[in-house]
Amino acid sequence: MSDIIRTEGLGKYFGEMAAVHEVTVGLKEGLFTSIIGPNGAGKTTLINLLSGYLLPDRGRIFFRGTEITRMRPDKRVKIGISRSFQVMNIFPRLTVFENILLPVLSRLNKNSRPLASVRSQKEAVAEAEKTLQEVWLQEERDSPAGTLSHGDQRLLELGIAVASNPQLCFLDEPSSGMNPIERVKVLELVKKLSAERKTTFAIVEHDMDVVFSLSDWIVVMNRGEILAEGKPDEIRDNKEVRDIYLGEEI
Amino acid sequence: MKKTLAIGSLVVFLAILPHFAGQYILYMTIHIMILSLFSLGFNLLFGYTGLLSFGQAGFYAAGAYGCGKILLAFPSLLAGIIGGVAVAGVASFLLGILCIRHTRIYFSMLTLSFGMMIFSLAWKWRDMTGGDDGLVGIPRAPLEIPGLLRLNMTPMENYYYVVLVFSLLAIYLFHRLVHSPMGLTLQGIRDSETRTSCVGISVRNYRLISFTIAGMYAGLAGALLPPLESTVTPPIAHWSHSAEPVLATLLGGIYTFAGPIVGAVLFYILKDIIVRFTEYWLICLGVIVVVLVLGFRGGVMSIFSGKGGQG
Amino acid sequence: METLAFQGLVGLSVAMYLWLLAAGLTIVFGVLGVLNFAHGSLFMLGAYFAFTFYGLWGVNFWLAIALSLVSVAAVGYLLERFFLRHIYNQDHAYQLLLTFGFILIFDDLVKMVWGGVAKIPPMPDFFEGTLRIFGRPYPFYNLFIIGAGLLVAVVLWLIFEKTWWGKMVRASASDREMASAIGVNIPTIFTGVFVFGAMLAALGGALGTPVRVVAPGIGSAMIIQAFIITVIGGLGNLKGAFVGAVIVGVVSAYGILLFPVFELFLIFLIMAVVLMVKPQGLFGS
Repeated sequence: MSDIIRTEGLGKYFGEMAAVHEVTVGLKEGLFTSIIGPNGAGKTTLINLLSGYLLPDRGRIFFRGTEITRMRPDKRVKIGISRSFQVMNIFPRLTVFENILLPVLSRLNKNSRPLASVRSQKEAVAEAEKTLQEVWLQEERDSPAGTLSHGDQRLLELGIAVASNPQLCFLDEPSSGMNPIERVKVLELVKKLSAERKTTFAIVEHDMDVVFSLSDWIVVMNRGEILAEGKPDEIRDNKEVRDIYLGEEI
Repeated sequence: MKKTLAIGSLVVFLAILPHFAGQYILYMTIHIMILSLFSLGFNLLFGYTGLLSFGQAGFYAAGAYGCGKILLAFPSLLAGIIGGVAVAGVASFLLGILCIRHTRIYFSMLTLSFGMMIFSLAWKWRDMTGGDDGLVGIPRAPLEIPGLLRLNMTPMENYYYVVLVFSLLAIYLFHRLVHSPMGLTLQGIRDSETRTSCVGISVRNYRLISFTIAGMYAGLAGALLPPLESTVTPPIAHWSHSAEPVLATLLGGIYTFAGPIVGAVLFYILKDIIVRFTEYWLICLGVIVVVLVLGFRGGVMSIFSGKGGQG
Repeated sequence: METLAFQGLVGLSVAMYLWLLAAGLTIVFGVLGVLNFAHGSLFMLGAYFAFTFYGLWGVNFWLAIALSLVSVAAVGYLLERFFLRHIYNQDHAYQLLLTFGFILIFDDLVKMVWGGVAKIPPMPDFFEGTLRIFGRPYPFYNLFIIGAGLLVAVVLWLIFEKTWWGKMVRASASDREMASAIGVNIPTIFTGVFVFGAMLAALGGALGTPVRVVAPGIGSAMIIQAFIITVIGGLGNLKGAFVGAVIVGVVSAYGILLFPVFELFLIFLIMAVVLMVKPQGLFGS
């Protein structure tokens, strides 16, 4: 199985502090990967570097063998990498449908047409409708996204991330800030998307039940470096990993 | 259906206006149409793309001076108007390249700065712009398409129709634009630049497009002025003139299509009333802005659509 | 050569007014996160108040300046407490729009109270006269202004580096939540900083009355240069504001001498270059 994305000696520093240091890791295509680690371990920074939101100070990133180290985030989306955000990032004044439609239009390279009506973009509209149903939001189709409940906004956030039909999708703490009922729903959706789409998912997650039930592969970070990686069982038995979680049941 | 009927009636009304209205009303209506175009451009930037520009008067002036200079040398109305739009378009494209790479506050202040820079040029560059005297004696040139038609513009009614046609066309194009995929892209940028970039769109390019189109609308508005007034003077480039589309849009409703147009009408009505009572028009403008910003974000249109209010 | 040196000195005195205006602007932005468009109006009010006390009512020059500062402080207090405070956490656009509305209000208010004609107040006796520098007569008053500007720079440095209040303000600027958690009364600090900034602007306006015209719109004309200065120096950075003011003042002066008509262009060009090379300003972070 090949690496869909890999890094070599990736480093990002804020003054004296190393957010990410000497990270060499590869995510295998088709495997559901979870990135775990204590707070401040560098997980979100790594996602930011891989998705282009931040540029690294050192090291390189390769997507399917092509170097993308300094590629802009919008270009990375065009080559098949997408992400969701830990802090909700939707289009609040657009309707739920429009939130999904925009990434679809972008993927089909139709978002720049200045005089055609949105309605006339039949292919994009159909695909957006499908994705809308996929994330269980067809009822809220015409509501402004900002008026949705917190839980539904999360579903929308996931919908936007997969609407560009990515090959690789990073989900940064998809269930953060949710009450238990909402969490279950969101994680169900993640499971469903992972099963039904040809996308490789990589998530940052704190809930160990979720991590161990969903993942094919786990990467453990600590203090900006990769501590360990492997199959869930290997990680569960790894002494160093258990140490950093200080006896938590993992 | 109701909407189409309303718009249709309005267009018909405007078309037959010259038959029963006097010169003053026609003159005011032309000014309202000019402000509408000016404000639509402003709102493309603000309501649709999320960029607050205080320098649109600079492009208005570019259009006005451009048209004026062309008409003084070559009296063809079409050449003047289209030329004015072109000058404004080039100016907004070039200045846009500089401005759109920056965040909201910087952007707003940059636009204020270059707007005043254009004002300063208009005021001091005597050779080119006539200095503080401005351009005078601009003819209301005939509408001429060589070989096809030649319409005399001396009667105001004729010029009124020219402005009406240009305005309706521009409004129609604007409508197509904001309901198009590009329009959706701009609104995405307004709502969340990060998200827009993370769905694969180059935010900077679209901001520049929006800025240039807004500049061209300002330029069109400006270009329609010289044939009406026969003079062009520096105050049209001053930031206080940039305040007019801002106020009109706030009054009418920022996040709506018709808001700027409704606002332009209200603006002129208000101005007409206020000026009868006091010469201190700016203070009233300022108070209205403060009241709208603190309490009534959605403007007048929010009454109709139920959206807006405390932003 | 002498002409150039002289013109540089002329630019330096203009720079001091710009420094006073920019200092308040940048402090208010650094701490409150608000860019006060109407800051120039406070400068203008400072000039008008000083003119009234000193030029119309014959009050002692120094007292007139002090009274002017107090008057503008009161205006600043009202502005912050009753208007600005409501929109702190909102989109920057609304802050800009609100303060823009106030520029319009102040410009006309000033016309209503003082009339629209420009005023030219008299020069205080002890500053009459000129000094021969670089072969030309240079007004004493301008030397005083340069001195005053430098003095203010030193005083501001002392306040923000050495005093308890200054440190509290810096803490609030860099981490609002943390400062609040350790008991700093943020709303009070904010009002205090805003009033402080207003007084700096007023000082600039007031000190300018003997040599500059007092007319509606003088503040708005300078606010753009003040903004350019804060961009060049770095928003929120006092050192940057000082250096930026000197650059803008001196370059403007040379511009007027060497490339009249285009001097605003020159300043704009410098700002554009800074924005391209170091967008956070020369001293920004």
